[in-house]
Amino acid sequence: MLIVLRHIHKIFTTGEVAVHALDDLNIKIEQGEFVAIIGQSGSGKTTLLDILGCLSQPTSGDYWLDGAHINKLPDSELTMIRNRQIGFIFQTFHLLPRKTSMENVRLPLMYAGATRTQQQNRAQELLTRVGLSDRMHHQSNQLSGGQQQRVAIARALANQPALLLADEPTGNLDSQSGNEILTIFEELHQQGQTIVMITHDPLIAQCANRRITLLDGRVQTDESIAAPAQPTLQEI
Amino acid sequence: MLGAIFRDALKNLWGNRLRSGLTMLGVIIGVASVIAMMAIVEGGQIWLVNSIERLGTNLLFVWKNRLTVEEKRMFAGRNLQLRYDDALAIRKRFPELQVAPIIEIDGQVKTGDRDYSGRITGTSPEFSDIRNFHPASGRFLQTADIQTWNRSVVLGKTIAEVLYGSQSAIGQQLKIGEHRFTVIGVMEPKGEVYGQNRDEMIFIPVTTALRFFKGHDKIRSMIIHVPDRNQMEKVTQQLHQFLIQRHDGVNDIRVRNQGEFLGAVDQTLWTFRIVLGGIAIVALLVGGIGIMNIMLVTVTERTREIGLRKAIGARRKDILLQFLIESTTISVIGGCFGVVLGIFAAYGFGNLVAQSMPGGGDWGAVIKPTAIVVAFVFAVAVGIGFGLFPAMKASKLDPAEALRYQ
Repeated sequence: MLIVLRHIHKIFTTGEVAVHALDDLNIKIEQGEFVAIIGQSGSGKTTLLDILGCLSQPTSGDYWLDGAHINKLPDSELTMIRNRQIGFIFQTFHLLPRKTSMENVRLPLMYAGATRTQQQNRAQELLTRVGLSDRMHHQSNQLSGGQQQRVAIARALANQPALLLADEPTGNLDSQSGNEILTIFEELHQQGQTIVMITHDPLIAQCANRRITLLDGRVQTDESIAAPAQPTLQEI
Repeated sequence: MLGAIFRDALKNLWGNRLRSGLTMLGVIIGVASVIAMMAIVEGGQIWLVNSIERLGTNLLFVWKNRLTVEEKRMFAGRNLQLRYDDALAIRKRFPELQVAPIIEIDGQVKTGDRDYSGRITGTSPEFSDIRNFHPASGRFLQTADIQTWNRSVVLGKTIAEVLYGSQSAIGQQLKIGEHRFTVIGVMEPKGEVYGQNRDEMIFIPVTTALRFFKGHDKIRSMIIHVPDRNQMEKVTQQLHQFLIQRHDGVNDIRVRNQGEFLGAVDQTLWTFRIVLGGIAIVALLVGGIGIMNIMLVTVTERTREIGLRKAIGARRKDILLQFLIESTTISVIGGCFGVVLGIFAAYGFGNLVAQSMPGGGDWGAVIKPTAIVVAFVFAVAVGIGFGLFPAMKASKLDPAEALRYQ
């Protein structure tokens, strides 16, 4: 079992009001699954993403990621886990401006302590893999949205993470670029990469092989689809 | 990794050229003022010490003390005042010392159709050696001149030129007051020393001065050369005691040595150092506040970037280092420019002083390597010190919040 969330609560207190963002959430995710987490805004999916990505800790409950008991770990260990185990893909790409695709992809490798040559080779390999071998030395603002998101995917894969965590990855893209991104996800899934994708769009969620719907911080539905996602992708 | 962070810092600073430049300006002005101030004080010290040392070295100065009316009444009838006899007695009692008694007369020097009104110094042959002031042509006063009350005169360079133009002055006759003198020597050019223009001095034998112009044997002061520098304090004491004894126990004389002058100068200079250095350091601190201000703005602007970096594995240390290196880069580059500007400012100001101050002709700013090092190190310390708070702030940002910061 790659991910185990047990009795997860997350309560935000602003002034007098306590908001129960996650309410006794229990989810298990196997190695190699492609999971879509769907929910309206306010359903707690962003909070869940933060907890899954080790960006914040649950108020109570237990979270295991690849055997590590995350909610017991100090900040410095979480940083290490984010660096090695998790690849983030954001709706707004979050590429560093004034940096080339290469430099952006090298960043997590640099923080992992890789040498310059290692960084360069790995970044080159990854950018080629996402189809940007001719855009390696372009600055991020010279790339289209789809290209930027592909750089972000390359960056997310840099340290061979156990978990690829995508937050509305197609939200800022036109449908064609969106499809390209989903195709890459599909390929990664075929290669055995665990992917958790958060989205509000049920159509996008259809390319996943498991869909978890959140409502008011709880799991509403959790359905697995045995059939490969490929046909659905063409429907979109 | 440090290299990469440093390259990033340069890139970011270059990306905000105007802002970085203005922030640096604070450091530049701070460093430049530290260097300039230190150079000016250093130059001033050397100038003052030189001025004092040019009076001659290992010197003691003896004056009479002014007595109050009451003291005068009390000590009436005792042997007071500084007299020529005192000088002779000192020579006898302390044969190793060179003693030059000095009296001064205001008078008119006349020759043919030219004249000159000024101060005439009566002294003895020792004066020349003690003050390191020698004749360029002819000779200075000699012992025989003193013994015979000889009416010989030695002229300063300027006086000789005023009276005789390009003609040789040696052997010429001139009148001081009603008395006829023969010019026996012309002094070398020396210029102004400690507020006195040496080239406008006129020397006659001290005995001649007393006999023809004073009619008594009171002298104004004595300059005494002590052969051994280490004996200065001791000789000062002994001399003072000896003179009090001669003056029937009345302490109506002052004996000062050069060390005391230098000490006073040093004290004054320390005051200058502290005041000017303080101003310069305040300037540098203001520059530091500028750095802190701009770094806080930078941290806020780059909150999302910080969030992203943390999300993909930057440790607190990495973020801290990143911003610290950026603020330090501002101060290092600012410091370099500041050193250059400081050197220019110091020499510029030095020239200004040299031109505007009477007798400041040989004044110049002195830039010591230590001053440059101190200013530079201080600037870098300011960059690190004032960069620390913004950098800590950045490193402590919550990654989840920072990522979604609008």
